[in-house]
Amino acid sequence: MTMLTRRQAMQTAAASLALSSVGFMSRAAGTVELTAVEWGGGVIDAMKEIAAKQDKVTFNWVLHQGGSGAILPKIKATWPNSEFDYVAGWEGSFNGMLKEDWLVPVTVDMIPNLADIPPKIIVKNANGDWMAVPRAVGGIYFAYRDDICPVKITSIDDLFDPSLKGKICWPGPTQSMMLQLVALSLHAGGDENNLEPGWELMKKLAQSGNIGRIAVTDTDFTTSLTSGETVCGFYSEPQLTDVAKAFPVTRLTKQEGMPVFLYQSGFAVFQNRPNLQATLDFINFAISPEMSELYAEVAGEAPLNTKAKTPDALKHLSFTPEEFDKYVYVPDFNVVLTQQDAWAKRWEDEIAPLL
Amino acid sequence: MKQNTPSALYLPGGLLFLGLFVLPMAGLFIESLRFYEPGSIGSAADAPFTLDNYAELLKASFAGFLWQTVKVSLLASVVGIILAFPMAYWIARRLSPQWRSLALGFFVTLMFLSVLVRTYALELTFGATGPFGSILREIGIATNGRGYIQVLVAAGLLHYIIPMSTLTLLGTIQSVDPRLNEAAQVLGAPNWKAHLSVTMPLCMRGVLASFLFGFTFSISAFVIPMILGKGRVLFISNLIYTRFSEIANYPSGAAISVVLFALAMLIVYVLTRLVNRSIQQ
Repeated sequence: MTMLTRRQAMQTAAASLALSSVGFMSRAAGTVELTAVEWGGGVIDAMKEIAAKQDKVTFNWVLHQGGSGAILPKIKATWPNSEFDYVAGWEGSFNGMLKEDWLVPVTVDMIPNLADIPPKIIVKNANGDWMAVPRAVGGIYFAYRDDICPVKITSIDDLFDPSLKGKICWPGPTQSMMLQLVALSLHAGGDENNLEPGWELMKKLAQSGNIGRIAVTDTDFTTSLTSGETVCGFYSEPQLTDVAKAFPVTRLTKQEGMPVFLYQSGFAVFQNRPNLQATLDFINFAISPEMSELYAEVAGEAPLNTKAKTPDALKHLSFTPEEFDKYVYVPDFNVVLTQQDAWAKRWEDEIAPLL
Repeated sequence: MKQNTPSALYLPGGLLFLGLFVLPMAGLFIESLRFYEPGSIGSAADAPFTLDNYAELLKASFAGFLWQTVKVSLLASVVGIILAFPMAYWIARRLSPQWRSLALGFFVTLMFLSVLVRTYALELTFGATGPFGSILREIGIATNGRGYIQVLVAAGLLHYIIPMSTLTLLGTIQSVDPRLNEAAQVLGAPNWKAHLSVTMPLCMRGVLASFLFGFTFSISAFVIPMILGKGRVLFISNLIYTRFSEIANYPSGAAISVVLFALAMLIVYVLTRLVNRSIQQ
């Protein structure tokens, strides 16, 4: 039997430790860990798949809780020490970040694949600098489950049908930046600058008893529709994609009188972070044509990279110029953002007691 | 003379209280007096002072949220005491020491079970698509009705209140000498009368304490109304969360928090005074 002396044991342990450290250090030297905020569901699945296709960075993922605006106070609380390298968002939350001057301006030199993104859609500051990197386009619109919805919904007026009692899942006052109110307002002759007709219609809808659940998180919406608690609603594409994975869903994106809102999902890059170059490189990789297609397949948002193909499952989000004019409404997001506080309070005052 | 001077033993706790409670609450109060510019995140560092954040709480809608919070919390706390007292009495007076330990362990375990697990269990069982949901609809109860949702929220609160109240009352009942009840019966009082006139008054401080535990827990509940309330039955805590985390209006959220804190303190003070006075009389 071979006996190991204490000295030999110590030497073996030290050698093993040194060898394993070399392996770890060589890996650590080539890999940077980024902290990023993403949405849950298909979006985080897509981003994890994209991250797995490269080896320059690893991720500490943080998920949005509630609306994408909910992350803003958390960032403000620690600013100027940002905890995140990038935060996924859309026009609504990007505008809030712009106001606080948190973001790094981006250029084609920094992110070469930006050259394939239509410049018109890129969020800009007052000086015209590009302040966020769009990766895909999603929609917020009305939809219903074909298999259990008792009526064929073709107009906002159908939402008042008595057979829909308790069957509508409606976004809460902090979801979708209240575009649901803008949709009602458009139907009744107003818009985001004149929301009164929308409020009147909203009161009638609340009084009708047809709203069964107010979704205060994305999961509320998906769970409510997939469980059959409610059968129709107004929500964004990734959540509707989740429902459509298991049930037939009619998306009213090309139905006259049912407004569609398109939003860009993208990356906001934060100042005061040590790994700026690695973050920019990863984002460049993520918006490449191949990764844009992968993202679209998994997350359910149409690619913005002009060299990427839109999957067949997302054809309902691809519009000809005529269709765009007819069905898509582009609100003034500055108005929408600055009115959030007033609209949320008015919801509490006038709508919540009626629900 | 020495007894009147504060002991140095108070110092660590006092400093902790000052740092973790008094200072944050003072910051919250100052924030509640700041002007908020719509669209920004919280108030600016040099924002002027204003009472607007409190003035907007004078609206009927806020009173509605407040009343809803107090009503459901009161319902849950009272029902909790009614259910917990006989259980605590039974455990304290009727069970053997071994069974008593088991019962105690059971209620302590209940206290540690995740609030999310219990809340979703209720939602899955009694919600619109749960097995009991369809039965209730068969007998004419609208599971999407506001009243039903309020009852469901109260049931969610009871999941915590019952074990908490039972454990609190257990100690109270055990500290009451059972021979007092027997003495009342020897003097001719029937069992129920002896219980109501001897045991109950002696347990009143414990009943009050467990009611206050339940009530203060309920009015500050957040997760339970958020999940079971379906976005339609909201508590003040949910409004506070919306103001702070969703629309970033810190001053308004702070004003509601200060009002909720003051209300909770007022209720605790008034109830304690009332019970103490009735006991002294």
